[in-house]
Amino acid sequence: MEMNTAYAPKTLEEALQIRHDTHARPLAGGTDLMVQYRRGEGAAPRFPWPVLLLCGVDEMRGISRDGKGNVTIGALEISADIARSELVPWHVRQAASRMGAISLRNQATIGGNIGNSSPKGDLPATLILLDAEVELASIRGTRRMLVDDFIIAAKKNHLEDDELITKVIIPPHDFTYVWYRKIGTRRANAISKLSLSAALTLDKEGTIIDFRASSGAAGPKVERSRKVEEMLVGKRIDRIDEVLPAFLDAYDGVISPHAMPEYRRRVTRNMLSYFLKEAGKRPAGKVIEETC
Amino acid sequence: MTKEISDPVRRYDAIDKCTGKQKYLGDMHFPGALYARMVRSTIARGKILAIHLPEMPQGYDFVSYKDIPGKNELWMIQKDWKCFAEHDVRYVGETIGLLCGPDKEMLDDLLSQVKIDYEEETPAITIEEGLACKGGAFVGKDNLFCEMTTRSGEDIDKVFARADRVFEETYRTGFQEHVNLEPQSCCATMEQGRYVVYASSQCPFYIRKSIAGLLNLKPEDIDVRQTMTGGAFGAKEHFPDVLAGPCLVACHKLQKPVELVFDRKEETAFTVKRHPSRTTIKTALDKQGNILGMDIDVVYNVGGYLSCSFVVLQRGVFHATGCYRIPATRIHGRGVATNTFPSDAFRGFGAPQTLFAIERHMCHLADMLGVEPLEFKRRYLIRQGDMTNTEGHINERVMLPEMIRQITEASDYERKAREYKPSCGRGIGLSLYNHGGAFTGNGEQVLIKAKCDLHKMADGRVEILCGQTEMGQGFHTAARKIAAHTLGIPFEKIVFENIDTDRVQDSGPTAASRSTQIAGRLIQQAAEQMKPRYDKEEDFTVHVEYQHPEGFPWDQEHWKGDAYIAYGWGAAVVEVEVDPLTYEVKTVGIWVSHDVGHPIDRLILRGQANGGVMQSLGYAAMEVMENKGGKFRQKSLADYIIPCSMDFPMMQTFLVDNPYPYGPYGAKGAGELVFNGADAAFTEAVSKAIGKPICEIPIPPETIEGLMHAQHD
Repeated sequence: MEMNTAYAPKTLEEALQIRHDTHARPLAGGTDLMVQYRRGEGAAPRFPWPVLLLCGVDEMRGISRDGKGNVTIGALEISADIARSELVPWHVRQAASRMGAISLRNQATIGGNIGNSSPKGDLPATLILLDAEVELASIRGTRRMLVDDFIIAAKKNHLEDDELITKVIIPPHDFTYVWYRKIGTRRANAISKLSLSAALTLDKEGTIIDFRASSGAAGPKVERSRKVEEMLVGKRIDRIDEVLPAFLDAYDGVISPHAMPEYRRRVTRNMLSYFLKEAGKRPAGKVIEETC
Repeated sequence: MTKEISDPVRRYDAIDKCTGKQKYLGDMHFPGALYARMVRSTIARGKILAIHLPEMPQGYDFVSYKDIPGKNELWMIQKDWKCFAEHDVRYVGETIGLLCGPDKEMLDDLLSQVKIDYEEETPAITIEEGLACKGGAFVGKDNLFCEMTTRSGEDIDKVFARADRVFEETYRTGFQEHVNLEPQSCCATMEQGRYVVYASSQCPFYIRKSIAGLLNLKPEDIDVRQTMTGGAFGAKEHFPDVLAGPCLVACHKLQKPVELVFDRKEETAFTVKRHPSRTTIKTALDKQGNILGMDIDVVYNVGGYLSCSFVVLQRGVFHATGCYRIPATRIHGRGVATNTFPSDAFRGFGAPQTLFAIERHMCHLADMLGVEPLEFKRRYLIRQGDMTNTEGHINERVMLPEMIRQITEASDYERKAREYKPSCGRGIGLSLYNHGGAFTGNGEQVLIKAKCDLHKMADGRVEILCGQTEMGQGFHTAARKIAAHTLGIPFEKIVFENIDTDRVQDSGPTAASRSTQIAGRLIQQAAEQMKPRYDKEEDFTVHVEYQHPEGFPWDQEHWKGDAYIAYGWGAAVVEVEVDPLTYEVKTVGIWVSHDVGHPIDRLILRGQANGGVMQSLGYAAMEVMENKGGKFRQKSLADYIIPCSMDFPMMQTFLVDNPYPYGPYGAKGAGELVFNGADAAFTEAVSKAIGKPICEIPIPPETIEGLMHAQHD
């Protein structure tokens, strides 16, 4: 009978060596892999490859902020702690706090959520919005890339078979208005049916100097288009109505939902339109809340 | 005992269940047991050409129909469902064989190597495909497992001939999975030369009867012992037979205990579901808009085998006019064969589907006539002495007016119904419902003949010896209360073990909301007989048998008379807000009132009401289960979505006191009633909030979006 081979390193160095030598697949919280590879009642999950258990590598933990405002989150940090941390940007905390059930949030890691590269992943949608980067380490050295570049499509990313995701770095930002909405299958303990993360920065005259939006569960990966975002830059928020129809049509071209396309497209338009219209009416520094 | 019987007690099972100490079948150890995995059909319809098994290691075996010494049939109500498929398969998941062996990991490896060659045939999946005999009929000439027609009042064709106008609409409901917390589980073994079956089950006596013929045995030759049953909702009424049969055959062949426990994936994909339905109601109206009569067509999707579906259909038909007095009716019911996993018993047992239809119909009639729905419903509220759709009568006082008053006052219904304009994003809906208690007609008298023993032990304790099971609903607490209260001894002195068919009297299935109403009454009668002897005698047993009350005629052949002696009654108000951006529905308030006669325990009843109403709201709002090509698309609790407490947070429950003369301390059935109507109130609330008629559930946000934008797209 086949057995699982698992390695349990205690240091990052050891982990990277094993990863290099065996190409064992990283398993952090296990909330995706243990489910994907489950077997029948009473039988343990079986993995078709050796497994690298990362839970003992404490170097991959920790949340910190440097002098420039960059926030670094260790790949093994769990959603519950990310949701609690005041160092972590608002969007990421929102997403972390709505992920699955409490038991899952106590187990699922940010590294795993990125590595799993699901378009429904809660954290990547906000990390991509914030131009966050992943640090990838191997015995060859380390490299960094945008989470948006790292994830290619559903379950596909640029992780080499000797690399591990070690940390996530979120650059500072100063948004005037923020939006996060996850439409789950129910009000809690839910997988995302659709999400929209958005942020808007205005100068003192009410001119848009930064706008960004990312859509989760609306295509093969979290969708964001800097080109479409650019359409709003330089426009005045009090005259948003003039550019809104063209912008919404362009954004519609960004998302490519496979299932329930009508629903996902319409709801995305509704949310974007509401966010931008409301931003013009409210005092700066506000979270644009849900409508009901 | 001076306390009022309804005053809550701590349930005898509360601590063990809440602390995790309670053992279920999957936690038990059967020495020398082999584990089993089901080999199932992967196609919806076709012929089995060959089964290719991997090489079996020592101690592993494959069990199939060839190993059955008796008849390959499970005797549920009829004997149509096979223990193992032989040459044909009728649905995805049909049992073909059982792989047995000492190690579950190895069994999974072997299972993944089993290859079956099929000659595939065209399956019929939907009600329409079944009725059209897509792929050719496989049951009779018309794919109908069962069919019936009831008539009441004046000839319906004459009524429609003189009608001023006719209003017709079709309503649909979907599959629903029970999501019993503890999965299906069973172990067949031999002890002292007898077959013993341990099972998580609602009806241990059903199992005995169903599987004995497989080994040419009589039911009494098998001892069925119920293990603590962690939830059922009907899924453990007949379906445990589908596990117990193969386990018994395997135990017979291999001469070892054989244990089979499902996981959640199997529960979702390969167990029975609630019947999807299509109900068309045609109403004849006079010039003033008064209802003259209704012509109703009810079709239930039965799936591959009949099981108890004819009885489910009957209940659907008998409840098709809901809580309303309709002067003339004709109700045509059909159960259609399709190649889906068989549909079976589920809390409500056929009543929820037609109650949903009649509630939607009454609201839409009211809308068409320009009358407020509640005002319209009030005009037709059924009362004591009124005729039912089987030309029987309502025997009890109907307290719906008082119940409506309770929930409309608490919810401020009338103001909100007036102020919330259609499509304003807020809506409030009200529904009325009932549930006939116990078996239909004279079934309790003719079919079940319930019996119960009460045994006084030398140490003063008293044991209840009847077949009613505890499955989480609280009956064993209620039964203890009835016995203790009647005998005037402490609750703790009453013993009521999980059911062992060798030890107890057969008091009928734990189903049909009959346990308290029927068996509870027997326990009360036995205790009354025991009471004068209790202090004088040390060790003795009292035996009682069910006596049907006089004066409730029923003709099962022509569906005429009192389909039920008594009903539970319910009324619900649900208020919602529909998010204009995302079409998500936020339920802001739920108010329900129930008449269950006089409750045995108010707290247990509140638990039933909370749970039943939640399950009903989930049915309406989010429990989407689709079947494509014979396979359920939803495969786990990650994609089959049941509600959590945040979905339906606020619920206010009311009761009315209306003692039932033939129930213990005035109690009637409650377990199913509480499921039967909140779905319709929710649907009405959403319909008002978006200003569109809704005739089908479930209605997830994407459906609401579609309804709202159907016209200008």
